[in-house]
Amino acid sequence: MSGKDRIEIFPSRMAQTIMKARLKGAQTGRNLLKKKSDALTLRFRQILKKIIETKMLMGEVMREAAFSLAEAKFTAGDFSTTVIQNVNKAQVKIRAKKDNVAGVTLPIFEHYHEGTDSYELTGLARGGEQLAKLKRNYAKAVELLVELASLQTSFVTLDEAIKITNRRVNAIEHELDEREREEFYRLKKIQEKKKILKEKTERELEKRKVAGEVTEPANLLAEEKDEDLLFE
Amino acid sequence: MLGSAELCFNVDHGYLEGLVRGCKAGLLTQQDYLNLVQCETLEDLKVHLQTTDYGNFLANQTNPLTVSKIDTEMRRKLCGEFEYFRNHSLEPLSTFFTYMTCGYMIDNVILLVSGALQKKSVRDLLGRCHPLGRFSEMEAVNIADTPSDLFHAVLVETPLAPFFQDCMSENTLDELNIEVLRNKLYKSYLEAFYNFCKDHGDVTAEIMCPILEFEADRRAFIITLNSFGTELSKDAREALYPTCGQLYPEGLRLLAQAEDFEQMKRVVDHYGVYKPLFEAVGDGSGGKSLEDVFYEHEVKMNVLAFTRQFHCGVFYAYTKLREQEMRNIVWIAECISQRHRTKINSYIPIP
Repeated sequence: MSGKDRIEIFPSRMAQTIMKARLKGAQTGRNLLKKKSDALTLRFRQILKKIIETKMLMGEVMREAAFSLAEAKFTAGDFSTTVIQNVNKAQVKIRAKKDNVAGVTLPIFEHYHEGTDSYELTGLARGGEQLAKLKRNYAKAVELLVELASLQTSFVTLDEAIKITNRRVNAIEHELDEREREEFYRLKKIQEKKKILKEKTERELEKRKVAGEVTEPANLLAEEKDEDLLFE
Repeated sequence: MLGSAELCFNVDHGYLEGLVRGCKAGLLTQQDYLNLVQCETLEDLKVHLQTTDYGNFLANQTNPLTVSKIDTEMRRKLCGEFEYFRNHSLEPLSTFFTYMTCGYMIDNVILLVSGALQKKSVRDLLGRCHPLGRFSEMEAVNIADTPSDLFHAVLVETPLAPFFQDCMSENTLDELNIEVLRNKLYKSYLEAFYNFCKDHGDVTAEIMCPILEFEADRRAFIITLNSFGTELSKDAREALYPTCGQLYPEGLRLLAQAEDFEQMKRVVDHYGVYKPLFEAVGDGSGGKSLEDVFYEHEVKMNVLAFTRQFHCGVFYAYTKLREQEMRNIVWIAECISQRHRTKINSYIPIP
């Protein structure tokens, strides 16, 4: 809270100017942070929309793929053992790239194919066409899954970033309010003190005048006639 | 000798033929299929199957019922019937049965060999083998360390040995692509089976030879179709065509040169039997695929086998028809469980 970190300064006008400058700086900072938060929220909403779309598409694609598996099994018999036997290296691999949104790095996954299709000749004697369709469907499903994965990681990262930024914005606003109030308080105090000082000096002046030791200096403005003027 | 079939067949095989005809009468009819298609859940399916010849084969299954459980149980039932026939058979029917199992044995051997080469656990593989293709030396696979040991231990003692001699020597066992190996074995097997039936003569030859010829040509077509766009060379492709079909030798040579489906169709124009089949193929996703058309033709031929008596072909036809029925039931079950009913009527009905 601001009460703890009150800076002990001498309540002078200069200090007040300095404080005003810092206030301005803090305000600019807060505006920048707010802009960052808005940008992040915008991106966040875009990602959310895309996630919903992708998930719905995913449901369709998985259903289609599972059905084409049934079709392939109908025509080609049981090829599951052949498939499992021939597994050695991954054909579809993922690369992680970085994307930058308003200063926040988001990971993006990109898939790429490597190596030849080791199941090219499976189903040579029967069911080859269905197997090809099946491979295509599942490849599509895998691509969608990769996309969904990068979208969801971005979603989570952005969520964190937005929370932090908003917390900072709120904290600064809190600070700013506190500082404004401090400013008012200080200004008031300064003015009071000055008033007191002024009253003191005036009283002293009065005293001295009464004592007759000090003549008033010539008041240029009060004088009606100026002796130096030759012509009236 | 004319009339020898009618005279001698029933002495040795009459009981079994009667039995298999009885089983054939228990295959699912169109009405049964209509009932199955209307089921909403797999439980309904089970209830419907109880009224057919399948009876309570799913009675011991715990919930939830899955399609793979149905598949395993059906296969076990078929296996039981097959083993019964086989155990009660005499020569030459028992050799016929052995030939029938060779096809499944080839698949099992390929599975075990590729698994052993990759040092996979043998027990899992044994569980995944097709039950109709069991042979006594299967457990010997895990003892073999190198491919040549494997070759000696397993293959030399099974009936598959002559097929392996045709296609390769033992040092190419690991380099050869597994699928190519499988298809080469199957080609030798088919030709040997064909020759056996032909030598047997009589009604068996009359019934089985057209069926096996169709099987050979069908494999040639499908291999050609599926090898478009892959790295299988034309010569390698030609080496996989079984030579016991109607396409041999001219058609096979033309097929080997074909580049796409249209060229295949032109080859077929010369053969009256296959031309209407190719005409019936629809294009894209709407119509039937070539494989569907072939399946239908196979079913038709198998049903026709039952119109003649006194031959071994009824057993082959029955097994194939049962397999087709199993595929149909699994297809319908999958459509029901995935709630994807648009194509549920794409099964092949057995008239």
